Amino acid sequence: MLDLKLEDIDGILVRYNVGLEKEMTPDEAAEELYPKDELIYPVAKAIYEGEEDDVVDALKAAIDAGKKPIDLIDDALMVGMGVVTQLYDDGIIFLPNVMMSADAMLAGIEFCKTQTTEVPEPKGKVVCHVAEGDVHDIGKNIVVALLRANGYDVVDLGRDVPVDEVITAVTNEKPIMLTGTALMTTTMYAFKEVNDKLLEKGIKVPFACGGGAVNQDFVSQYELGVYGEEAADAPKIADAIIAGTVDIPALREEFHKH
Amino acid sequence: MVKKYTSMAYASADELLFGQSKFPVKAGLGLEIGAGYTTPEVNYAPRPHAGKSKDKLVKEYERITTDTMERMIQIGAPSVVLETEHVEQMSNNPEWGAAVAHAQKTIMEEFHDEYGIKCALRHTIGDIRQDREYLQLRGDQYSTFMEAFELCAQNGADMLSVESMGGKEIFDYAILRNDTAGILFGIGVLGSMDMEMIWKDISDIAKKTGTVSAGDTDCAQANTAMFIAGGLLDKNLAHTTAIVARAISAARSLCAYEAGAVGPGKDCGYENSIVKPIAGVPISQEGKTSTCAHSDLMGNLIMQCCDLWSNESVEYHGEFGGTTVQCWSESLAYDCSMMNVALKTGKAKDLRDVLVLSDKFRDPQGYVLAYDNAYRIGQAITKDGENNYLRAKNAAIECCNIVEEGVNSGKLRLTRFETNALAKVKADLEALTDDADQFMSDNLAKFKQEVPVFRPENYGL
Repeated sequence: MLDLKLEDIDGILVRYNVGLEKEMTPDEAAEELYPKDELIYPVAKAIYEGEEDDVVDALKAAIDAGKKPIDLIDDALMVGMGVVTQLYDDGIIFLPNVMMSADAMLAGIEFCKTQTTEVPEPKGKVVCHVAEGDVHDIGKNIVVALLRANGYDVVDLGRDVPVDEVITAVTNEKPIMLTGTALMTTTMYAFKEVNDKLLEKGIKVPFACGGGAVNQDFVSQYELGVYGEEAADAPKIADAIIAGTVDIPALREEFHKH
Repeated sequence: MVKKYTSMAYASADELLFGQSKFPVKAGLGLEIGAGYTTPEVNYAPRPHAGKSKDKLVKEYERITTDTMERMIQIGAPSVVLETEHVEQMSNNPEWGAAVAHAQKTIMEEFHDEYGIKCALRHTIGDIRQDREYLQLRGDQYSTFMEAFELCAQNGADMLSVESMGGKEIFDYAILRNDTAGILFGIGVLGSMDMEMIWKDISDIAKKTGTVSAGDTDCAQANTAMFIAGGLLDKNLAHTTAIVARAISAARSLCAYEAGAVGPGKDCGYENSIVKPIAGVPISQEGKTSTCAHSDLMGNLIMQCCDLWSNESVEYHGEFGGTTVQCWSESLAYDCSMMNVALKTGKAKDLRDVLVLSDKFRDPQGYVLAYDNAYRIGQAITKDGENNYLRAKNAAIECCNIVEEGVNSGKLRLTRFETNALAKVKADLEALTDDADQFMSDNLAKFKQEVPVFRPENYGL
């Protein structure tokens, strides 16, 4: 077969990812971000490494040394997850690391809950669902994990969720945000029905939508819609809402990229 | 008992070429696929509101079909395939799918009768075998699933396909956790078991109805990996991990042909470049002309040995140059025209190699799927062709070896992250048992515990 000389390849394509790679390894970058407290450090490190057993062991040690379980959720588990999300946002680690860290953090939260009668205070509540008729839920699962990793209480309605079930959940749970994902053009039409029924009830909750066939033009057609191009946009939109940007046009201004 | 591939249909990689397959397939109205020419395969999705009723949906597909056929005539294209990927309403209500097939085929027959254009209709049934919580691969919906194939075949579909979901519950969990054994178990073991079951039944329907049992794609798994991996700067999955999933998927998609399918394989099965040299079946592929649906890193390369050339899917609506199906079918047809000229003038191998070299070093995924390397994956599969697990594992290990060789040549450059991910996958693979029964029992135990939606009975386990 024909072949290219090594020196000819650069004129045909550029591996920008190779050229831009950070000098520091992920482990080195994480080390710089860990909290220095000797009881908190091992929890944060175990979160970064995604080791559920190590997280629980480190929490036990911290509790034995006098730390309150309820405080460890915010001061250790969320701090460790903060290291992970910062490294992900900076392009230093990849999604599977975040997913494994999120699993470890959730195991840690469950452990802390068993050690106290106090109830942890989440940043806010988010209802997530996959559109009616659509069973493709890997995108929603990533959104749920990233939201939980960022301290949100997620009500996960699952996939193929009937419109009325979404409305009932939003009515009952009063979330700061609703998310919807869909892979197919015909199922994403359900988002418009969700929007219309929420408005009929006078509920004006931001409705963050994304997924395979979903695009900004479509989401902009209904009043509550905010388009998220990446799963990682979901916690960012939620953070913006918590910070006071609840107006849909303002959220669109910030998150609509096209 | 299905007959497994233990040898290659092609004696060498260099024999692989677009528009030519070892076993061409006659379909529809005068078309022969893989018989010395390439044909555009146009794929489309109805607008969101069209799914509201059967009548609206049928009307939408009539518009799509008429627009496409008219444009093919207007630009003088000698042949075309239309692929209708069912929206869920059409497979859950088989009479809807049948009505669409009938309406489309009626229009295609009119164009064929008037102009002589060679054409065929592929219907890709939706894999509806699931409920809200779980895959229900062998449950009540199985009969509806098969009825959808049969009614479409009886009412105008010429070729039958599906993008089946077996193993996806494990794969979705594993791919987001860098779990190599889980990826192998989901695609190579569970996916293959489900494929063997459904493709025997689909092939029986094709025989009964005089239609073509065409083939599957590992869209639900290998394409999910490719999609999550994304472009060069995306940080969601190492591209080296994604191509290992793709190599494994070839062992899985091959099962359709072992169970009676004859091709053409489905367009989004990027693993088809590995399947074709093993099975000799014609294949459909998509690349630069499917940017309407998704991006990839091998837009030219993947045209290398296609028999049908597809746009994956585009929502039906207006553009400056006509409706989307008109615009994209025209692009496909001109690409096919170029390939067909190359075939007629003895320049096909040169064109093939130009296509390959334009993307071969762009990304590890394209590097492995380049026909010379794809052929090697095929050999690794057929070496233990009788054993679904071992052949999938062989494919994965050979994939790692190929990427390493590319890196050592200096031509394929990886990031440190991709290099580390590759090393992890390879070490994981090398640590696995060669005993398929042991692998099955280890992973059954593990995933029954870790994945709440995993139901072994879906696989007869």
